[in-house]
Amino acid sequence: MSSLTSARRSIFSEWRALLAVANKEWIIFRRYPGWVLGYFIWPVLFPLGFIFTAKALGGPDGSSLPAFSQLSGTTDYAGFIVVGSTIWMWVNMTLWSVGLHLRNEQMRGTLESNWLCPVPRISVMLGASLSRLGVSMMLLIVSVIEFRLFLGVQLVNAGSVLPLLFIILLLIPSVYGLSLTFASLVIRFKEANSMVYLVRGTFAIFCGVSYPLAVLPEWMRRVSVCLPVTYAVRSIRAVGLAGATYRDILPDLRMLAVFAVILPVMGYVAFCLAEQRARRTGDLGQY
Amino acid sequence: MEKSHTSLSSITWRSNLLALLAVAKKDWLHFLRYPVSAVFSVLQPLFWLTPIYFLGQSFATQGGNVGFSAYSGTEDYMSFILLGTVLTNYISAVFWGMGYSLKNEMDSGVLESNWLAPTSRPLLLVGRTLANVSTATLTGAGVLLLSWLLFGFHVTGNLLAAVAAAVPMLIALYGFGFAFAALVLLIREPNTLIDISNFAITGLSGSDFPVKALPRFLLPVSFAIPLTYGYDAVRGYLLGTKTILPIQYEVVILIIFMGVMIPAGYGVFKIVERRCRMFGTLGSH
Repeated sequence: MSSLTSARRSIFSEWRALLAVANKEWIIFRRYPGWVLGYFIWPVLFPLGFIFTAKALGGPDGSSLPAFSQLSGTTDYAGFIVVGSTIWMWVNMTLWSVGLHLRNEQMRGTLESNWLCPVPRISVMLGASLSRLGVSMMLLIVSVIEFRLFLGVQLVNAGSVLPLLFIILLLIPSVYGLSLTFASLVIRFKEANSMVYLVRGTFAIFCGVSYPLAVLPEWMRRVSVCLPVTYAVRSIRAVGLAGATYRDILPDLRMLAVFAVILPVMGYVAFCLAEQRARRTGDLGQY
Repeated sequence: MEKSHTSLSSITWRSNLLALLAVAKKDWLHFLRYPVSAVFSVLQPLFWLTPIYFLGQSFATQGGNVGFSAYSGTEDYMSFILLGTVLTNYISAVFWGMGYSLKNEMDSGVLESNWLAPTSRPLLLVGRTLANVSTATLTGAGVLLLSWLLFGFHVTGNLLAAVAAAVPMLIALYGFGFAFAALVLLIREPNTLIDISNFAITGLSGSDFPVKALPRFLLPVSFAIPLTYGYDAVRGYLLGTKTILPIQYEVVILIIFMGVMIPAGYGVFKIVERRCRMFGTLGSH
């Protein structure tokens, strides 16, 4: 009787290994209801801090709102902030989950034994990413619904749904490529939390998550154009809040497409280098 | 001549103090073992403060932040938020120091063996917060220094009075911490709970903005949280902001809060601890 096992390597067996890892991660995710609950609460809770700060800065009578409107092009500061915070939150959660996947295995003492499996190690990483991708999409859908229900912000309508999906699709490879690079650096340098703080802090400061980029000094604006999240946040705001079309956001889409090619390649190379180094130095199990 | 010494096997005030310091020292060693993380604990608040600084800049008019001034009584929104950040660091230190440390010990499989030590378990929990509180003090000083350089930070009020108002609030938080640690023993996966409750409670207490900016239906919730008066009194003393109640009343509320929370939190923790010992659930996670 013919049977496919992971011991005889083929594309099919590697795909099965990838799905097995994704399934294992999904089971662990469901095992902790608190995590699932968090995905429903955070989308609406997280931006509230910025929204109330913005409301306080605007004043009881909105006397400071024209200054914000002049720089951002909108008086809807709640809509402006929820777009930035949701994309930032997605990137942050992906960094914590995919980026720290190897580190968590290292901490549990299972990384070495898992890497002895006769499957490409990248499949193990991609399996974890696949599982998280499903969860992330759930987060985005929940966010859009909750913004409409609780904050009165309507981002998605018949005209904007396809452009928004297209922007998200273009951003996905960049986010996961970045997470792969990040995961490789974490097993090399081990101080995972600090690296997450650095990367997510960089995005929070330079990508205009909660404020218009026009307020930044010139040197900071030069940094912001090197980050994919800047283009995603700007184009989603344009489509979701101002009704922009594909033509209006074409320059941002081009940049997102470039990042979508470069960052996954960078992630793959970083992962291969980390793997080679780990085999040479034998420090995979240390933390 | 027999040499007198204090050991953990004879429970005295001195042995309790030694146990407390041993736990704190162990956490300090952990903290220093990861030097990059130690540096980032100072830098991390700046990653939050910088976006708020630019958000404030985007609302600034020719006459300064007049909108913010109408709510709070000061145009200096950065000093307002910085003080909130430093106080929030302490609040998190107690929340995390107790609840999260239990989770860490559960995950590492050392909770049961640690709890076999001949010392009081609440004391072990307090020991876990000592390192966190001292770290919060150091990082708070670092954050204030860096923020002073980057954004400007002006304090003109009575520092001693502000500290006197903050102390009962921080002591009361230990009561909260005990109750929270009990909850961790029951639910075992507390990260989401800690994160969300910490974020919601500090947010509703006005850590980042004047609570008067909250919608009307949330104001009663905010006024029912004693931390609101802690933030408000400290800012009132140091920045001369408009306070919700006269400051003396706010300090009295904080002292009552302290008197109620410590025995209540301790009582809840003891009940849950006894339950865990009965059902043998301490080691599972």
